[in-house]
Amino acid sequence: MKNAKKTGFLSAAVALGLMAAAAPAFAHHSFAAEFDVNKPVTLTGSVIKLEWTNPHAHFYITVKDDHGGTTNWEFEMGSPNALIRHGWNRNSLKPGDVVTVVGYLAKDGSKLANARSVTLADGRKVFAGSSVDGDTTQ
Amino acid sequence: MRSLFHNVFGFGLFLVATTAFGQGDKGAIEGNVKDPVGGIVAGATVQATNASTGEVHKSTSSRQGAYTLADLPAGTYDVSLILGGVAPFALKSVAVSAGQTAHVDINLKEGTQLSSLGEDPLSIAVDQKRHNPPSGPTPRTAEGKPDLTGVWWSPRVVDPGKPEFLPAALEITRKRIEDNRKDSPQTHCLPNAVVRVGPIYEFVQTKSFLVMIADDDSPGFHQIYLDGRPHPKDADPLWYGHNIGHWDGDTLVVDRVNFEDQVWLDQAAHPHSDKLHVVERYRRYDLGHLETEVTVEDPGVLAKPYTIKEVSDLAPGEEVREFICTENNRDLEHLVGR
Repeated sequence: MKNAKKTGFLSAAVALGLMAAAAPAFAHHSFAAEFDVNKPVTLTGSVIKLEWTNPHAHFYITVKDDHGGTTNWEFEMGSPNALIRHGWNRNSLKPGDVVTVVGYLAKDGSKLANARSVTLADGRKVFAGSSVDGDTTQ
Repeated sequence: MRSLFHNVFGFGLFLVATTAFGQGDKGAIEGNVKDPVGGIVAGATVQATNASTGEVHKSTSSRQGAYTLADLPAGTYDVSLILGGVAPFALKSVAVSAGQTAHVDINLKEGTQLSSLGEDPLSIAVDQKRHNPPSGPTPRTAEGKPDLTGVWWSPRVVDPGKPEFLPAALEITRKRIEDNRKDSPQTHCLPNAVVRVGPIYEFVQTKSFLVMIADDDSPGFHQIYLDGRPHPKDADPLWYGHNIGHWDGDTLVVDRVNFEDQVWLDQAAHPHSDKLHVVERYRRYDLGHLETEVTVEDPGVLAKPYTIKEVSDLAPGEEVREFICTENNRDLEHLVGR
């Protein structure tokens, strides 16, 4: 988390001259209709599966609690089309991978969040735009 | 993370304070630029517009995210920052006194449509980095007309125009936004807004026919007839409208009418009426660039027509992949309105 706090996820964007690009957002649904920007969450768990589907890719992890129990969580990402352009593919997350995910909780209270960044147990960030000069993975 | 957000948002979007910085008849504005999760934003252009004279001053944030607008004549300034992927920042009426520095921290907020991986500012940055339009002359067809065929990056807006929506249209827009746009057509895997294109799209052109194929849209293609046929009379409304094109010199003029009532006009959730008429003027002025002017006319929702000016970069090597939105549209059950 301390890394996430320091991450300037826009710094690369700005350096690339995006200031006035006004690039249109991806549009399948409004962020605010599903996720709560005031409820960030960080969860660590073991990957169950990755669904490489439209309109969004999803993955599921099992999170252990302090009492020996587990809870399954679902995370939503962008579309495979967008993720593919960034070098990701349907095998980027494998069952059993231990990952730490930063995202925002669903507003409806279900065990669902969007994913903003995914970090593997070895500290390597996947799904974090490694092709952007490392600026976003500090 | 929770405490971070309290830090960022709990104390409001900005903080204005002033400190003396020396003698003289000029003042300054300084502060830091941060992204929605508290990260440093380097290289962003902060703009201060003098409310009286309209004079514009600019400063670029440093690698540490700090900016300084120095040598400002005393007066009142509007401070703004526009950055792709996040909500625009604007703070009006910042007082600048001689010999004083006003402190304005800019804590950017999420854009309304962004945030998940692959949909975030980082994603836009990655796409932007791939832009490398080739140079060369405008390709032409056997008939000597410019050939628009190719895969293009989503256009960047050069001039968004100045739409003036009528009160009833603004009321519909307000309700849609208040309701988190949860019932936008795209949410239900129906076509995108009329004036939205991208993130990449493709033109396939023949002598009598042009097809636009767009990523992130369902079904994502529409036809533009170049064979001289007129718009049909009393036809059924269409999500992409009825589209005919003709050449005005080297500019392809596409005329679009007869839009389905349910489709939204734009990403800002504006509606349209049955009087919607869109004219798109395409000019491929060299190999790597396609200039577009989109004029939106709709006396049912607009006080007067407005024109959006955009430029697309050619995207050689990219593919418009299929986007079968209904494959796994699991969002509907989770969406909440106001």
